[in-house]
Amino acid sequence: MRNTRITFSAIGLVAAAGLVLSGCAAADSSDGGTDGAGAGDETFEVYALLPQGTDQPYGTTYLPPMQAAADELGINLTITNSQYDADQQASECEVAVAAQPDLIILWPAVGDTVRPCLAAANAAGIPVTVTNSDVNPEDQDLTEAYSGPDTYGQGVSSAEIMCDLVGGEEVGILVVNGLTGNSTAINRNAGFVDTIEANCPNVTILAEQPGNWNKDDSQIAVSEMLTAVGPENVQGIYAADDTMVAGAIDALKARGIDPASLYITSIGNTFLGNPLVVSGELDGTVFQSSSWDGENAVRVAYDVLTGNTPSPRELFMPSVKVTADNADDPSVAPEW
Amino acid sequence: MSTAEKQPQTTMHLGAARGGWFDQLKVTLARRTEGRGLALLSVVIVAAAILEPVVFTSYQVTLGRVALIGLVALGLTAVILMGELDLSVASTLAVSGVVMASIPDLWLGILAALATGLIIGAINAFFVVVVGINSFIATLGMLFALRGLAFVLSDEKPVRLTDIDAGIAFGAPLLGPITPRVLLFVLAFVALQIFLTRVKAGREFYAVGGNRQAAVDAGIPVRRRILTGFLISGFVASLAGIINTLERTAADPTAGSTVLLASFAAAIIGGVVLNGGRGSVLGTLIGAFSLGILQIALTLSGVQVDIQDIFIGVILLLAVITDPTNLRAALAGVRSSLRSRERAQTPV
Amino acid sequence: MSRESETLTETIAVASRPEAGIEKKRFSLLLWMADRGVIVFTVLLILAAVIFIDGFATLPNLTDVFYRAAPIGIVAVGMTFVVISANYLDLSVVAQVATSAVIFIGISNEFGVFAAVAVASLVAMLYGIVNGLAVGFFKANAVIVTLSTTFIGLGILRWLSGGSIFFGPEDGPIRAFGQARFGPIPLSALVLLLVTIILWFVLTRTTFGFAVRAYGSNKSATRLAGVNTTAVVVGAFVITALSAMVAGFVLAAFSNTAVSSMSDGYEFRALAAIIIGGTSVFGGKGSVLRTLLGVIFVSVLTNILVLSGIGFGFQQMAIGALIVLAVSVDALARRAAKK
Repeated sequence: MRNTRITFSAIGLVAAAGLVLSGCAAADSSDGGTDGAGAGDETFEVYALLPQGTDQPYGTTYLPPMQAAADELGINLTITNSQYDADQQASECEVAVAAQPDLIILWPAVGDTVRPCLAAANAAGIPVTVTNSDVNPEDQDLTEAYSGPDTYGQGVSSAEIMCDLVGGEEVGILVVNGLTGNSTAINRNAGFVDTIEANCPNVTILAEQPGNWNKDDSQIAVSEMLTAVGPENVQGIYAADDTMVAGAIDALKARGIDPASLYITSIGNTFLGNPLVVSGELDGTVFQSSSWDGENAVRVAYDVLTGNTPSPRELFMPSVKVTADNADDPSVAPEW
Repeated sequence: MSTAEKQPQTTMHLGAARGGWFDQLKVTLARRTEGRGLALLSVVIVAAAILEPVVFTSYQVTLGRVALIGLVALGLTAVILMGELDLSVASTLAVSGVVMASIPDLWLGILAALATGLIIGAINAFFVVVVGINSFIATLGMLFALRGLAFVLSDEKPVRLTDIDAGIAFGAPLLGPITPRVLLFVLAFVALQIFLTRVKAGREFYAVGGNRQAAVDAGIPVRRRILTGFLISGFVASLAGIINTLERTAADPTAGSTVLLASFAAAIIGGVVLNGGRGSVLGTLIGAFSLGILQIALTLSGVQVDIQDIFIGVILLLAVITDPTNLRAALAGVRSSLRSRERAQTPV
Repeated sequence: MSRESETLTETIAVASRPEAGIEKKRFSLLLWMADRGVIVFTVLLILAAVIFIDGFATLPNLTDVFYRAAPIGIVAVGMTFVVISANYLDLSVVAQVATSAVIFIGISNEFGVFAAVAVASLVAMLYGIVNGLAVGFFKANAVIVTLSTTFIGLGILRWLSGGSIFFGPEDGPIRAFGQARFGPIPLSALVLLLVTIILWFVLTRTTFGFAVRAYGSNKSATRLAGVNTTAVVVGAFVITALSAMVAGFVLAAFSNTAVSSMSDGYEFRALAAIIIGGTSVFGGKGSVLRTLLGVIFVSVLTNILVLSGIGFGFQQMAIGALIVLAVSVDALARRAAKK
């Protein structure tokens, strides 16, 4: 009895050990490819602390251009993914600071929580650049540069499309937000709501619900909001991304309402959203290029590493408004 | 392979001849529950030492991660030892963080957060002890309700601390690698270890978890012990919420999404039996070290997060199916079915 | 489940419920009410909604309630088997639903719907067998086993799918399946009904169903009676996995998209519906029809909260309070009845 028990435990442990070893070995070999491929004479060690990666559509198309730019510029990237958990990212930041890299690229999981990470990096003399979502204004002097979309600005652009479409008309709209508590969701909503209040107060937000970045959640939420406020009172819909706006459009169709008769805007211009703009169901969206984002995260980091700290601090992804006029344009071809 | 596992085998040959202390050792070892945790920890340490020695040179980071995983797990252990569960720990962590950050005065905020944890523990215990519903369901309800409360109180946004500098100062090491988080973790461990092994009330936790009816018959105030257990768990979870809020300078209503599962994993790997009665906080500590070192090593090697998850899942699965008691039961099952097949064959 | 043990199993099924006779004596109105609490509450809730909530009693809204109920309901009805077999819950349904949805859309796009269904069935069987063997044969705790298979399953799914969002063609069969409706009743609601009827039959009218209930109320008696308990547990997990697979199909077809994060939170939401329905987490006692009612209750409640414009935080609080309330009422009534 005891012998079998020991044998079993031993087999289990050997298997576990084997997994540990093979996993680390695999990781090492994948890292090794970048060595010596640099354009310059130097190879830089850079940690990229991201909150998503191959677990989300955006991250999946963000990473390859980032890696390609790093290979080209001779930067050895170590990428982490905290899955939007602030505590996880804080711990990864400690790991990064302890490893003493030449630079840290930070994509904040929760913007309000990164101050200690920045302070620690500063104390260790490691420069930090920010990608995708900027840190709070009071924390910006602890960072060298920012590149990426202006998440607040995307909300602004989407609201501007809405205001242009509506003109002076008195209209009621529905709002579908991203995942509750998520910083991109919060910023986009703030940008949209602020701009509507400032530029076209004739647009009234009748109801708001989270769509969790999901098409199905958004579809049900929009349908229920239509019931709540009465479909006849709704002349427009804003959703915080294209996936959710696709759900909103399906909800309208399921009710026999022609989406083209409503003012509908969103953010993204993705594979799902672009065709909807072309077909006229979606009136306008704001292009967010994951490849621009990933590539420039590394290019800006390289500039800082080689002493050419960019000025101004921010390199904003152009918030290109995509409407029926330019939806076929190759420069706004969807990426994810 | 740990010596803890090998020793009993030798005693099978020598034990009879020598008797005395060897038998005693054998009994002690058989009674310990930390064997698997220790074995896993050894493997992880050896593998990390060979492949990612940075794990140990930057030990303050590793310690920080262990404290992050382990603190909530320690409180959870007290509840699990009594055969109860507390699924609400992660939501408790989020709510107490939000409560703390919403109050401008730092110390008042900390006190309010700790009180929140104790109140939540008392509510959990009320449902389990007074109303008499299963702790799994009661705390499942609290998991939803408290997460919702955290969103409502925070207006669905992270709440920044009023005194950000205090938060940053809190995150700095006091002495060598010892940050306040690590210090509080060690204190919580020592306090619980003493309570569960040296204090009568704490030792009774094992009796309550091992055989509830026997505990009642022996005159142990079972209800009061369960209340104590949930108070400990709620208090420790709110302590973790306070530490996280201070270190991050803000309270995130979505905080703790990975805490619940990681702390369960740490306790289980450390040999704490979910049905109660067996296990130790030492085991949980070992479990937290194994997981923490493993995670840091994988992060340092740049292993992507999905592969890390597969890894941790496989190790957890191996840990739970190689539980000696489970294996014994499984083997007994096989043997009896073989025997019955033999019996079935012979008469024909 | 071997056929020859049918009479045996029935014996245990009866023997392991010795309280059946005693309960009749202690029968009281209170207990009767508590036992049917979910029916009473569901009816009251729907009545209140019809009277007080504008737009609740309209056909499009009825459709929305069905859409809300269908995928989570199919998961919950299947998972009832694991709960009745006294194994708490199957956390890995999160991974199972997402995997099935991604396979359904992803593989259909390349190789057609039949290939997708075949692959999804194989994966579901694998989930059921791994979970079932670890719990039934190795006697490991179901919570931890399914927690680890969730980690493994989601890890593999994200690794292989690259976290991409998959969407099917606008004119494909999946789209047609997702949009099919009979009046206000979507096809997915009929799938839920069909799954419920099949599983109700399996649980109440087959040897296997008897064995699951017997095992849930008394493990050792069932084993001593010569029932292959490993097979019972594996069976319960396989049924859960197959239901989760169907739920994945329904969810993917509804939006014609699939992504690895689409079923987040399904494990606890399904368990909430099961508990509100009145199935005991101690095992042995419960039914799939109760679970169906629990699902309807939660879906109607969520619908009402959204219609009233109530935010996400309060929605979560309401669900949480409801779980505790439902079980408290049951526990208190039971205690009062015994006195």
